[in-house]
Amino acid sequence: MKKTLCVLIAAAIAVTVSLSGCAKGKADAGADGKLVKGGKITLAQGKPEIDAALKKYAAAWGEKNGTTVTIKSIGGTSGGLGPALKADFAAGDMPDLFGFGGVEDFKEWEALALDLTAEPWVSKTAVAFKYNGKVFGFPVAVEGWGMAYNADMLAKAGIDPKTLVNLGAYKAAFAKLDSMKAELGINSVVSMAAAVEMGWVTAHHNFNSLLANGLPYGDLSVVNDLLAGKVDDARLNDYAEWVGLLFNYADKSVLTTGNYDSQVGAFATGKAVFLHQGNWTDPNIQGANATFKMAFAPHGSMAKDTDGIFVAAPSFYAVNKDSKNLAAAKKFLADLVATPEGHAYMVTDAGMIPAYSNVTLQPTGQLSQSVQAWSAAGKVYSWSQYYFTGDFRDKTLTPLYNQFATGAINQAKFVELMKQALIANKK
Amino acid sequence: MPPSLGGPGFSAAWGAIMNKKRENSLIFWLFLAPVLFAFLMVEIIPFLMGAWYSFTNWTSSARIDGGIRFVGLDNYIGSFKDPAFGYSFGITLVYTVMNMVFINFVAFALALLVTSKLKLRNIYRVGFFVPNLIGGLILGYIWQFVFNNAVPALGKIVPFLSPLSASENLILGNNTAALMALVAVGTWQYAGYVMMIYIAAIENVPVELHEAAMIDGATPFARLRKITIPMAAQAFTITMFLTLVNSFKQFDVNVSLTSGGPSTMYQGKPILGTELLALNIYNTAFLSNNLAAGQARAVVFFFVLAIVAIVQVSVNKKKEIEL
Repeated sequence: MKKTLCVLIAAAIAVTVSLSGCAKGKADAGADGKLVKGGKITLAQGKPEIDAALKKYAAAWGEKNGTTVTIKSIGGTSGGLGPALKADFAAGDMPDLFGFGGVEDFKEWEALALDLTAEPWVSKTAVAFKYNGKVFGFPVAVEGWGMAYNADMLAKAGIDPKTLVNLGAYKAAFAKLDSMKAELGINSVVSMAAAVEMGWVTAHHNFNSLLANGLPYGDLSVVNDLLAGKVDDARLNDYAEWVGLLFNYADKSVLTTGNYDSQVGAFATGKAVFLHQGNWTDPNIQGANATFKMAFAPHGSMAKDTDGIFVAAPSFYAVNKDSKNLAAAKKFLADLVATPEGHAYMVTDAGMIPAYSNVTLQPTGQLSQSVQAWSAAGKVYSWSQYYFTGDFRDKTLTPLYNQFATGAINQAKFVELMKQALIANKK
Repeated sequence: MPPSLGGPGFSAAWGAIMNKKRENSLIFWLFLAPVLFAFLMVEIIPFLMGAWYSFTNWTSSARIDGGIRFVGLDNYIGSFKDPAFGYSFGITLVYTVMNMVFINFVAFALALLVTSKLKLRNIYRVGFFVPNLIGGLILGYIWQFVFNNAVPALGKIVPFLSPLSASENLILGNNTAALMALVAVGTWQYAGYVMMIYIAAIENVPVELHEAAMIDGATPFARLRKITIPMAAQAFTITMFLTLVNSFKQFDVNVSLTSGGPSTMYQGKPILGTELLALNIYNTAFLSNNLAAGQARAVVFFFVLAIVAIVQVSVNKKKEIEL
């Protein structure tokens, strides 16, 4: 019996070693550049909100092109798609097309991403994902965030949203709105969320104010300084004051324990004047039957004027270069941009802001339209949070913001801990 | 004439016995083979592969500097240096002890209740068991709603509960309270299941013992202590083991109810305050994008849980004999 057990364990070890050894020996894909009828492609993407529209489009496209397209939507919070892709990769079942969200994410799949520089859609977009001068990512949509405001309430309070461009203006506006709570029927001025599960609002989106607000588009000077552990105290102090202001005028229940629904819900039902979110909330706000006028105002994270909102294409599709059906995978992406069906899917069905200049359709959501207006005016700032690792944002910054939100630490301590964390993050 | 030792008759009989034995053992292994194969493929091999990965820089992704490199004990050393990991260990132990006490106490009380001469006791049994049929993730979201919305709403209506409606008293907004909330939900989910095991044990206690004791004038409490509990000792070993292992491995309710929040300060660093070990391992692997370190933590987790569980079972077994 003992002997048998020994043999079994020895066999198990042998199999283990051979399996882990052969993980790399992948079959070479026979991609000859021709679209094979009856082929199959899989697209794994991280936006569950567009799942139904995408599946519908993919089915129609697949029928036309004799290809079966499987859509896998894995999303929700920040960790959503990543773990699923890693599991697929470990199983040797990597999708032909897969989503990723920025440079740190891209590095995980760098060896697998196909160079898309020669694709027809590249000339029609300004926001394709580029790395070392080559295009590797198909931008899914343009997204933006700022301070979404209820225009009707601001008008009632006599506040011109055009003046909301710096810390001082926001301070005055928040104080005024706070004094009119009963009149406006609101619970709080701002709908802000800082619970741990909402770390993407604080440690991703809000954090970007520190990184990119007021800088020319694509300027990475602050990012690079912070990554090198060099902290600009004045900028950080202004920023901390802005965070404190948002937290102070937020509904404490929503702030400390609320989830996405309660945060967006408070704004959609007229219980808050401002919402710290992006244009992806359009369908949710429409779903709540909100009828008031709304648009975005800039973040007021600095004493000086910052007249612009954060706009970027934050998610991309990469083509797996080991795909057995490269031609179909490339054509799928190209057709999204080149065909009217593709346009209808992107804008009308999925409600996204198209990232391509040849798309003439307009999204119907008010916040999406506001993002388009800001971009058209050229008043945009970058999304730079992706230059920081998920580890730093989710495991270090999220609890830090949460501590400030619950009142466990004050603003001075927040600044001190932020500085400590940024210096410790130096590579 | 009886076959003499070593004679031809004997060796034939011996051969037959051996053949029979060989046949038996062949059948034994043949029947065992499917299970062994499955166990090997889904337990032993993944476990050993995982243990191997914990000594490497494995990422399960296609980095340009790809290829698995042996890094020795780096992942283990890094894990033990991370305050969040130590903290997770601590609160997992606290959570496990509290959960074991609460679940077993509640389950045993419920079992006594539904084995008494209560009207509608079968309906109660079903009712107490039903929470166990709801998936942990959904359960977490349901209770999140209860703690975040229903409890404060109750505080607004009922005058003497008014502190509950204050936003600074939100149950999931406070670290200790959030951990207690996890215990409460864990108990709510699991007590009904453990209750079933206790019911079986209590119903197996011979009625004569109780009758004899009653004739001797024993009080119900004395009968519980001297008859029911000793006779149900085996059940305690099982339920303690189940609650211990399940509490230690708690993941789904943790994710959906608190996501590890709210935060807390530990060794001068803000970290997640209710991040139990399993969630810490998951976050290390997938949020921090450090699969190998997560794997190292999982190996540590396995050994600690195995040792704790073995100690628990042997202690309980000893108790069983004493009682």
